[in-house]
Amino acid sequence: MTKTLAYYPGCSLHGTSGEFDASFKATARALDLVLQEIPGWECCGNTAAHSINRLLSIALPVNELAKVEQDMRLDAVAVPCAACYSRFKTGAHEVEESEETAADVRAVVGRGYDGGVEVENLVDVYHDAVGLEELAAKVTRPFDGLKVACYYGCLLTRPPKVTLADDPEYPTHMDEVVKAVGCQPVDWNYKTDCCGASLALTEQGIVDDLVGRILSDAKACGAQAVIVACPLCQVNLDGRQIEIAKKDSGWQGIPVVFLSQLVGRALGLDDKALGLKKHLVDIQAVMA
Amino acid sequence: MTTTCTPSPSLSRQVTAGCDENAYKCYQCKKCTSGCPVARYSDMHPAMIMRAVQLGQFDMIFDDRFIWLCTGCETCTTRCPQGIDIATIMDELKIMARKQGRIPAGTPSAQMLKLNYDSFVRWGRMWEVELITLDVLKRPSSARNWFTLGPKMLLKGKINPTLKRGDTKAMKRMVATAESITRARESRAGGEGGQS
Repeated sequence: MTKTLAYYPGCSLHGTSGEFDASFKATARALDLVLQEIPGWECCGNTAAHSINRLLSIALPVNELAKVEQDMRLDAVAVPCAACYSRFKTGAHEVEESEETAADVRAVVGRGYDGGVEVENLVDVYHDAVGLEELAAKVTRPFDGLKVACYYGCLLTRPPKVTLADDPEYPTHMDEVVKAVGCQPVDWNYKTDCCGASLALTEQGIVDDLVGRILSDAKACGAQAVIVACPLCQVNLDGRQIEIAKKDSGWQGIPVVFLSQLVGRALGLDDKALGLKKHLVDIQAVMA
Repeated sequence: MTTTCTPSPSLSRQVTAGCDENAYKCYQCKKCTSGCPVARYSDMHPAMIMRAVQLGQFDMIFDDRFIWLCTGCETCTTRCPQGIDIATIMDELKIMARKQGRIPAGTPSAQMLKLNYDSFVRWGRMWEVELITLDVLKRPSSARNWFTLGPKMLLKGKINPTLKRGDTKAMKRMVATAESITRARESRAGGEGGQS
C-alpha cells in the first residue's frame, strides 16, 4: 500500500552526501513510499544553533514540523540525516515539555505546532514505516551473508528521553534491517561511539583517533563493511581513512556504506541510482 | 592547573536561567567523563566542568578548550544517574563564553560554529563550500587539511559547489525574533541574579 511521508533532506544531502539523498529516494520509490519534500525548507540549525542561540535551535525544526502538520497536512516526516533528525526530535520534545518554551517558539515561528507529526530517521523508515516483513518481501537481490557492522553513532539513539530509543547503548533496529536484506550483522563494541562529528573540520587529529578506533574494532569483529545512517559519520569514517593509512602503513581500508545504498542494492536498484562510485574507500566490491 | 580564580555564584545561576538545568545535582560519579569521547584531549573533563559550575569557577572553564571540543554526542546526558542534561550545560557555557568574549586561543571549533551559524542565517541553508572557504581565508593553516581530501572528494563528485537557498526572508525573521526574545530574557535574569 502506498504511504506518503513528508521529506526533509537537510543541507548535507544537498551537499557532500548527494548519494545519500539519491539512494534514499530510490529505495522509497521501490518500497511504495511517496516522499513530498517540504517546500522551501530551512536549515535545522545543526550543531551551530544550539551552541549559539538555544531558542532558535528549537524554533527552526519546529517551523518545519508546523509546515508538515498544517500546510502539507501529513502526519510523518522522513529525516534521513541523523543530525537533522536529532534537532527535529529535540525541538518537538522541548515544546511539548515546557509551555514557556512553546510560547517563545510560537512567537519566533509565527504559529503553533500541535505535535501531530511523527519524525522518522532512516532506520525508522525501513524498520517501521515499511516494516521488516514488507521489506524482506520486496528484496530481489539479497546479500549472501555479507558481514556488516551497524554503526548508529550518537544521534539516532541519544538522548533517549528525546529519541525514545529502546536501548540507546546497544540498539538493534538497524541490525534487523540489514538481516532482512540478507546481511549478517556482527556484534561489536563501537556501535554508538562518537566519530568526532564536525571536529573533522577543525581537530582532524582527534577525529582520526576516534575513527581509527571505531573501524579497527569493526574489522576485529569480522565486519567486511560498516553501515551508517548519518552523512557526517559517513564522510568521517570513509574520508579519514586516507590520513589513518598515512600514519599506519598496514591499514586495510574498510567500506563505509549508507544503509539506503545497502537496501537499494538488495531491492535490485542500479549502481548509478545508488551512487556507489562516490566513496573514497571503494564499496563496489562488497556491493557487487 | 592553577586554580586562583574568583568564584562567581551569579554565573552559576545564569547557567540554570539559560538552559533550565541544575548543575548542583551532580555528585561527581564521573560516569560522564568515563564515556566522553574527547575528555582525554584537554585539561578539563565533563565532571570537572560540572564541579567548576557548582563552585562558580568560570575562569577554569573559559580558559580551557574542553567545551569547544565537546561534539554534543549526548553520552554524558544519556548516562548521568542524576538526569542532568550535561550536553545542554556545555552548550550554555559555549553561549556564555562567546558573549563574554572568553574564547581561548587554539579553539578553531569556536570560529567554525559561528561561520556555520552565519552561513545558514545568510542563505537559509548551510553552504558547506562557503564554510570551508571562509575558514581557510580566516585560518590559512587549515588549508593543508584539504590538500589530500579536497581533490579526492572533488574527483568523486562529492562536492556540490552550488546551493539552493532556503526561504531566506523567513529565516531572517526567525533569527531576529529569537535573538530579541533571548536578549530580553537575559536582561531579566541579569536583573534578578546580579551581573558579576
